[in-house]
Amino acid sequence: MAIIENHKTVGNPLCDSAKLSARDVCVYYGEKKAIHDVSLDIGKNEVIALIGPSGCGKSTFLRCLNRMNDTIDICSVTGQILLDGDNIYDSKVDVVPLRATVGMVFQKPNPFPKSIYDNIAYGPRIHGLASSRVDLDEIVEKSLQRAGLWSEVKDRLHSPGTGLSGGQQQRLCIARTIAVDPEVILMDEPCSALDPIATAKIEELIDELRDNYTIAIVTHSMQQAARVSQRTAYFHLGQLIEVNSTDKVFTTPQHQLTEAYITGRFG
Amino acid sequence: MTDSTMTTRQKVEASMKRRRSAETRFRVYGMASVLFGVLCLVVLFGNIFGKGTSAFTQTVLTTELTIDAAELGVTSASTEQELRNADYEGLIKDHFKAAYEPKGRKERRDLYKLISVGAAWQLQEMVIENPSLVGQTLQVNLIMDDDVDQWFKHEYGNDSGSIRLSEKQLEWLNSWAESGDLHTRFNTTFFMNGDSREPELAGIRGAITGTFLTLLVTFLLSFPIGVAAAIYLEEFAPKNRLTEIVEININNLAAVPSITFGLLGLAIFINMFGVARSTPLVGGLVLTLMTLPTIIISGRAAIKAVPPSIREAALGLGASKMQTVFHHVLPLALPGMLTGTIIGMAQALGETAPLLMIGMIAFVVDVPGFINDPSTVLPVQIFLWSDSPERAFTERTSGAIMVLLGFLIIMNTAAVMLRRRLERRW
Amino acid sequence: MEMNFNQHISGQFNADLEGIRNHMMSMGGLVERQVANAIEAICNGDTRLADEVIRREDDVDKAEVTIDNECTQILVRRQPAASDLRMVLAVSRVVRDLERIGDEASKIAIHTLEVTDSKAPQYCQQAIRYMGEEVVKMISGALDAFARHDVDGAVEVVRTDKSVDKQYASALRELITYMMEDPRSIGQAISILWILRAIERIGDHARNISEQVIYLVSGTDVRHSSLTEIEETTQK
Repeated sequence: MAIIENHKTVGNPLCDSAKLSARDVCVYYGEKKAIHDVSLDIGKNEVIALIGPSGCGKSTFLRCLNRMNDTIDICSVTGQILLDGDNIYDSKVDVVPLRATVGMVFQKPNPFPKSIYDNIAYGPRIHGLASSRVDLDEIVEKSLQRAGLWSEVKDRLHSPGTGLSGGQQQRLCIARTIAVDPEVILMDEPCSALDPIATAKIEELIDELRDNYTIAIVTHSMQQAARVSQRTAYFHLGQLIEVNSTDKVFTTPQHQLTEAYITGRFG
Repeated sequence: MTDSTMTTRQKVEASMKRRRSAETRFRVYGMASVLFGVLCLVVLFGNIFGKGTSAFTQTVLTTELTIDAAELGVTSASTEQELRNADYEGLIKDHFKAAYEPKGRKERRDLYKLISVGAAWQLQEMVIENPSLVGQTLQVNLIMDDDVDQWFKHEYGNDSGSIRLSEKQLEWLNSWAESGDLHTRFNTTFFMNGDSREPELAGIRGAITGTFLTLLVTFLLSFPIGVAAAIYLEEFAPKNRLTEIVEININNLAAVPSITFGLLGLAIFINMFGVARSTPLVGGLVLTLMTLPTIIISGRAAIKAVPPSIREAALGLGASKMQTVFHHVLPLALPGMLTGTIIGMAQALGETAPLLMIGMIAFVVDVPGFINDPSTVLPVQIFLWSDSPERAFTERTSGAIMVLLGFLIIMNTAAVMLRRRLERRW
Repeated sequence: MEMNFNQHISGQFNADLEGIRNHMMSMGGLVERQVANAIEAICNGDTRLADEVIRREDDVDKAEVTIDNECTQILVRRQPAASDLRMVLAVSRVVRDLERIGDEASKIAIHTLEVTDSKAPQYCQQAIRYMGEEVVKMISGALDAFARHDVDGAVEVVRTDKSVDKQYASALRELITYMMEDPRSIGQAISILWILRAIERIGDHARNISEQVIYLVSGTDVRHSSLTEIEETTQK
């Protein structure tokens, strides 16, 4: 299907209490335009799901939000992304504090090949968040508890993190992200490598984290988007087609493409 | 055959015979080539071991010898210098003249020739070590000449004569051998001595020490430089024309004939910077040039093998580029880098050609004490000996090859074990 | 590349959805016939036809169970979303209403047998015939609107329900006057009352079906809304 020229996002891409706001964001890989003028607000303490067919730019957009795209040489971003009103693409902004504020959880659980304790403690250590060993212990325990992993691993904090099951590894990665105490957590298909039980646990966790964090989650599972998010944004070939409350998107989507995608007519 | 009435199954079954025979044929080819390789190895090893094992034994003559104070002109209270200057060779000659009463000059010379010149040094060392021996009569194992050594190891007992020994000499030798005074023992000389013109006194200690010092220099230079270069090229260097050229050149350098590095070393290190020739220092420098490409290439491969997810995880937590590399990428890449380094070092260990160019082929008797002492290395020593006419050097050549092979095996085993130990799964 | 948004990637999913829709339509046809037969039976005093209606009530019940089961299967297997979800939900609700209509039709048939047995005069013949024809039209109108995703047709059915309700009220008043005039006719009148009540309920169910058509097409739930509210939402 042809790219819709100058599509204007339908629904409500903006909201009142925005934590992150993207304005006219375009992303280029070399000459190729991967994201077309996306404007989207991510509200405080909300879970927003980014859905869309493969290659629609949802992951690319997500990775713009903490400048993970910087690691790709040929990738360039135009437009503005405001975190609490400050443009994160401003030349004065350093990515290190930005990424400490906007944490990220990846598709494949990727614990460091170190102990569970060291996995969690790594972030606080490099950012100097703990003044003493006791402090650090406390951060580790709190993070693991928040991630719902404490009771499962408290007796083997010093065994390797890679020895955990897939679901536990992913929760470990979430705990590792929380340990830095970010304000926003970006999740790039966090459950795509997990079984349904582990997925359910992560989803439960996301629901609990919403009280303290702003979460943006990219997912291929529409059911998951429907389960965990308050708002859903539908991307199609680099354009933001529709943003609406999740229940609206999944019962009465406004745009024909959204409807076609979520009912499984393409994608 | 393929008419349309046949079912797929029938067609498949019809083709099975052809496929199976192709498989069998391929297996036979494979086995033949493996067999050929194994055969070559067996022949090579058989040859080397067959020739070389006798290098580890040495023929000695046990005899009662009086260290006559009067003849030597020393007492047990003499200084070390006096002890050193005494005429031990004369002592031995007198002892044998008295014992076997050779007739005429020719016979006398023949008799003396049976004993190695090393026997006198042997006595000298014994006395210097323990001056109280002066005036005593003791049992000594005198090192025999290489011709005697070869005759005793290879021809004694099978009645064939020897071109290098006269009738009279054989008579004496046979009588000593029958009495059991002439016998072989473990060849400590081979491991404890440096090179010598006398095969029975030639050893590999100088070469081994030289090799060790050279490899030490090579390792200390090439590992840090190689690792640093690999990290920079893989992680930090911008991807542009310049780095591409650097990359291509590094890959090309790995294929450059090693003698070229010798020429380079000669031109730059010796002629330009005036580094002393024939030293482990300059050898190490040249071998560094040679192993660097190997280390850089294997290092980069090891870095590339670190999953990007680990990098992303660290970056996503807000680690800087530097922290990501040194906290996560490097520890994971290290086993691979070390393996590459050890393999590079093993390659350097066996290298001869470039060292010839920088004068490490010199005949060096002394064991080097430091990296700026003249020295030789094992492969070059092997090369030198293989060129020597004396028959006894042939077995020493093979013996040295066995030692070199031993080192190579140890290094490669170390590489494998290191890899196993350090490698972490992710 | 051109894509057909009317087709799912999964052909079986298409077939499943098509299946429940077609089964619902044929059930609708059956129910419509039941109602028409029941009305004809009462108007003509045709006891044979009334018997037939009562006998076929079973088929309606069976159809409801079958289609409901099919809907459950789709929900379980396909987790439909958006228009598909609305389709399944609407079909499931419509089927329930159709079954109720079937019940009402058989109720009319049962009362028909009572009324025609007695030699007493028949009241409200006119109203029964008129309302009966109206509700049969409503059922077919609602089903047509469903098949064609026709919101206007659905609103028309809701409107007709309004007039059926009015006729029911006036017929009720008529019956009361009969009962006051001749207390002996009360038994007969109550049977007629039940029949009128059943026809009126059929109208309500037809209206419910139309509301599901609006839900199916626009996604807005207009149950328990007034006609003006419905008209307002559909005008948008």
